[in-house]
Amino acid sequence: MEQKKMCLGLFSGSVDKLTAAGIILSGAVADDMKVDIYVLLQGARAFRKDIGDNPDKLQMAENPNMKAEFLQSLKNLKVKTWVEFFRECKTISDVKIHICGLAGKIWGGEKLDDFIDIADDICGIGAYITATQEADVNLFI
Amino acid sequence: MTPEELKNLQVTKIVDARGTACPGPLLEAKKAAGTIKSGEIMEVLSADEGTKSDLPKWCSKQGHEYLGTIEESGFFRIFMKKK
Repeated sequence: MEQKKMCLGLFSGSVDKLTAAGIILSGAVADDMKVDIYVLLQGARAFRKDIGDNPDKLQMAENPNMKAEFLQSLKNLKVKTWVEFFRECKTISDVKIHICGLAGKIWGGEKLDDFIDIADDICGIGAYITATQEADVNLFI
Repeated sequence: MTPEELKNLQVTKIVDARGTACPGPLLEAKKAAGTIKSGEIMEVLSADEGTKSDLPKWCSKQGHEYLGTIEESGFFRIFMKKK
């Protein structure tokens, strides 16, 4: 059977949406999907080395006043952090993380080395659009 | 398979994922399936309600044979044979 492809446009840099992305990614790799993640504007900030899964530096997209409860609940349920999800999924299936060059620059990241080590390369919008055309499943978070 | 038949199966690998919520059990099952041979049987323990429907679907997509589920108090025992 031909390997199915998922293309995920990851615009959000908020902890709740990043966690959702990690959970969806888990389901995709369990099905042996090839996943390409394109990290867009706000997302690139979260991928900065000094931010990552540091909850103090990430906001909530929804119910922002309930961030502490949300994070505690995830902890109680032993849910991985978004970085842990992404990192583990990369060991299970073919998952590539591409940082949008412009987005990186907006947040002060010029080189791949400025981002957490799960990022694979820095790319332009053309690569994202090509991936959307080639994917079986397209998601935008 | 009946619960009695499931209980008598020769299980090669038991994956205890009761400590994790979705998607933990699915990921644990995926990783463990890579460690057993074709035809061997794996049992996944999960306290997550969603796993009960996720794993049979996952088996059919992956080509593994879903054998059945035993519902215990507070958790499920889900059996499958690797393709």
